[in-house]
Amino acid sequence: MAEHAILVVEDDSTVRELLRYRLDKQYDVLTAANGEDALDKIEEQVPDLIVSDIMMPKMDGFALQSALQADKNTRVIPFIFLTARADERARREGARTGVDDYITKPFDMEQLLSRIERLLERMQVFQTQLGAEIGRDFSQRLLPNALPDVDDYRLCYESEARQQGGGDLFDWTRTDDDTFFLTIGDVMGKGLRAKFYAFTFLSYVRGTLHTLLKESTSPAAVMGEINDMLLNDDVLNDTFASFLLLHWDPAAHQVTYANAGHCRPVLVSETDVRIATHSDLILGLEEDTSFTDTTLDLALGTALLAYTDGLMEQPLRDGSLLGEEGIVDLAKPCRTSPAPIDDLLASALSVSDRSAFQDDVLALWLQRHDGDVPPTC
Amino acid sequence: MSFTVEPLAPDTVVIRMGEALDFRNADDFKSTFQDQIDADVRNFVLDFSKTAVLDSTGLGSIFSLYRQISPDDGQVAFADVSRPVQVVVQLTRTYKVFRQFPTVDAAEDALISA
Repeated sequence: MAEHAILVVEDDSTVRELLRYRLDKQYDVLTAANGEDALDKIEEQVPDLIVSDIMMPKMDGFALQSALQADKNTRVIPFIFLTARADERARREGARTGVDDYITKPFDMEQLLSRIERLLERMQVFQTQLGAEIGRDFSQRLLPNALPDVDDYRLCYESEARQQGGGDLFDWTRTDDDTFFLTIGDVMGKGLRAKFYAFTFLSYVRGTLHTLLKESTSPAAVMGEINDMLLNDDVLNDTFASFLLLHWDPAAHQVTYANAGHCRPVLVSETDVRIATHSDLILGLEEDTSFTDTTLDLALGTALLAYTDGLMEQPLRDGSLLGEEGIVDLAKPCRTSPAPIDDLLASALSVSDRSAFQDDVLALWLQRHDGDVPPTC
Repeated sequence: MSFTVEPLAPDTVVIRMGEALDFRNADDFKSTFQDQIDADVRNFVLDFSKTAVLDSTGLGSIFSLYRQISPDDGQVAFADVSRPVQVVVQLTRTYKVFRQFPTVDAAEDALISA
């Protein structure tokens, strides 16, 4: 993690340099000679904490602190006053909103250091908790509340989000002619940033689908639009995502898909397990990437399994990763299981050397009924 | 962890990728190549001989590099690609964008004579 940046505001150059010297060992230190100077510095880089004198020329510490309180971007920066005026009046004035501590000169350096450390720690805990809360909220919004209920089919999915996980997403839309668009994707990156981009991205994909479905039900056409958007949109520029778009027609027992660098779907039938091999380049990398539709027929009892890379990258006992081959092996017996995804994930963990998944894991199972297949999951 | 950079020509460098490029060190890799781009380097040979881990965040950082240099006709070449890296490259179909060479020398010959 990067060092915390501390801004020291002090007109006495001896004290200023002493503080810089002591703080420099643990922190990234910025300095300013008065309040005005400090505001300029903050404009350039927002510090993680401010230590400020009160009496200074041009703009004093009180005026600086009031100016920071008035701006929502600087209001929460921890603020410590450092002053020679040990009298009660100054202390009262110093004990105003947004001042976290008040230390009198001549000050004990160790005491100042420990207070700085405590304040930064408190800030860190607060940020981590907030991040986790937002992360959970995003994760939930990146997944649907319910699945389509279609005669002759069972559909199930499971998703486990890790805090250090990324931007896995899954969504579905019903078209006017009772077919379905299923979207599975993974926005590259980790943590809150990836989840935020995934969230933004999914909103766009929903909008695009809504518009495009009036003209075409080609996943490849939609994929091309999404790729252009990623390359040309200012917010999403430098965002990359693997994506699997499935157009499922239950009446025709067909799934047509386009795959942009995503984990390849697996078809599990009574007689064999095979990988739907065709895929194209990942999204966000090249203009004019061409995407192709591939149609799969779903025979009686056949299941289609789609998933994200967290499953594939689960480490095994021998140090290698589960991989596509591993998933193919594990998927085979799930066809006749009453809970195929639960069984798949449990068996992935049973061959792993860890007790939990290391990354976000998302898996979807779509299966056409026959006599042997349990009706739901 | 830091990355070793060796110049091959005024606008070409090789970066030794080490054992892993993942969410833990992707930002280090970004600042490594950014310094090179700022110094007008446009061709990058990435030596993957020792790389056991390449996750999606790591791959994303390579994409960022590519997006920056491709408008200037720069290239990103993969050299001596280990098996785990090969799997990721296949899966994401990025071999369509990044040329691959058996060795750093072969990549150097191809990029510099081009």
